[in-house]
Amino acid sequence: MELEQAIFGRRSVRKFKEKSVGKTELESLIKAAIWAPTAGNHQPWAFICLTDQEMIHKINTVAPGLFGNPKAIICVCLDHKKTIKKVDKEGREVSNPFGYWDCAMATQNILLRAYDLGLGSCVIASFNPDAVRELLEAPRYFEPLMLIILGYPDQDPKAPPRKTNVIFWGKYTDKGE
Amino acid sequence: MINKDLYRELMDLMGFMITSARGLLDEPHLYGPFRLIDGASKLCAIMENKVKVDNDFLERLRSKIDEGKFSVMTDVDTFKSMLDEVVLDFTKKLKGL
Repeated sequence: MELEQAIFGRRSVRKFKEKSVGKTELESLIKAAIWAPTAGNHQPWAFICLTDQEMIHKINTVAPGLFGNPKAIICVCLDHKKTIKKVDKEGREVSNPFGYWDCAMATQNILLRAYDLGLGSCVIASFNPDAVRELLEAPRYFEPLMLIILGYPDQDPKAPPRKTNVIFWGKYTDKGE
Repeated sequence: MINKDLYRELMDLMGFMITSARGLLDEPHLYGPFRLIDGASKLCAIMENKVKVDNDFLERLRSKIDEGKFSVMTDVDTFKSMLDEVVLDFTKKLKGL
């Protein structure tokens, strides 16, 4: 698939067919994810892949923004042990926000690769991260950032209009394109 | 008699309500009405499956909610109209109870 087709054709899909998503497809998605750029090449991510429907049901219970009937979920986590550290005003070493951006770029790779494989996907941010971490038995230094729901699409959502006035040439003016 | 299916479905609804309550502290204010009406839809589904009284009304109500609820993200006026209709539908039903 051409990159242009993937970028402009991908939609957020929340309704899926009964066909399951296999380990091979999920491995392909993660392979795409880990080739995203990261600050300082720290690769501060971890991906917890779920296909067990009972676990997906439990995740759904603590994720009010999760709709539909996903056949798989990838929980994108920030591994705080792998992030670039900075020192705050009190002299404490804390995670740099770059890690969040790194995980977002990896997520976009997953979404585009999923579309390329014929899979529908949607990013869910409305979930309780503590509850998800507890269900997945992940360590405290794993911060669940996003749930990517996946399955073979059973809907073809219309593209919402794009916002305008976002491009400024040379310098900011009050009339963007 | 313990109905395990009903227990599980109500636990799911409770999980939705509890995590919504926490999440809404940090989420856009329009997510509040959205979560409430989505919760009403989930309650309709439980009542249809387990209470089985007035299913025609419950199915119509749930369909109307589910078809219109996502408009909150693209067209707030449509979302508001859907809520107004649902309120009226429910009130008419309430009058006859």
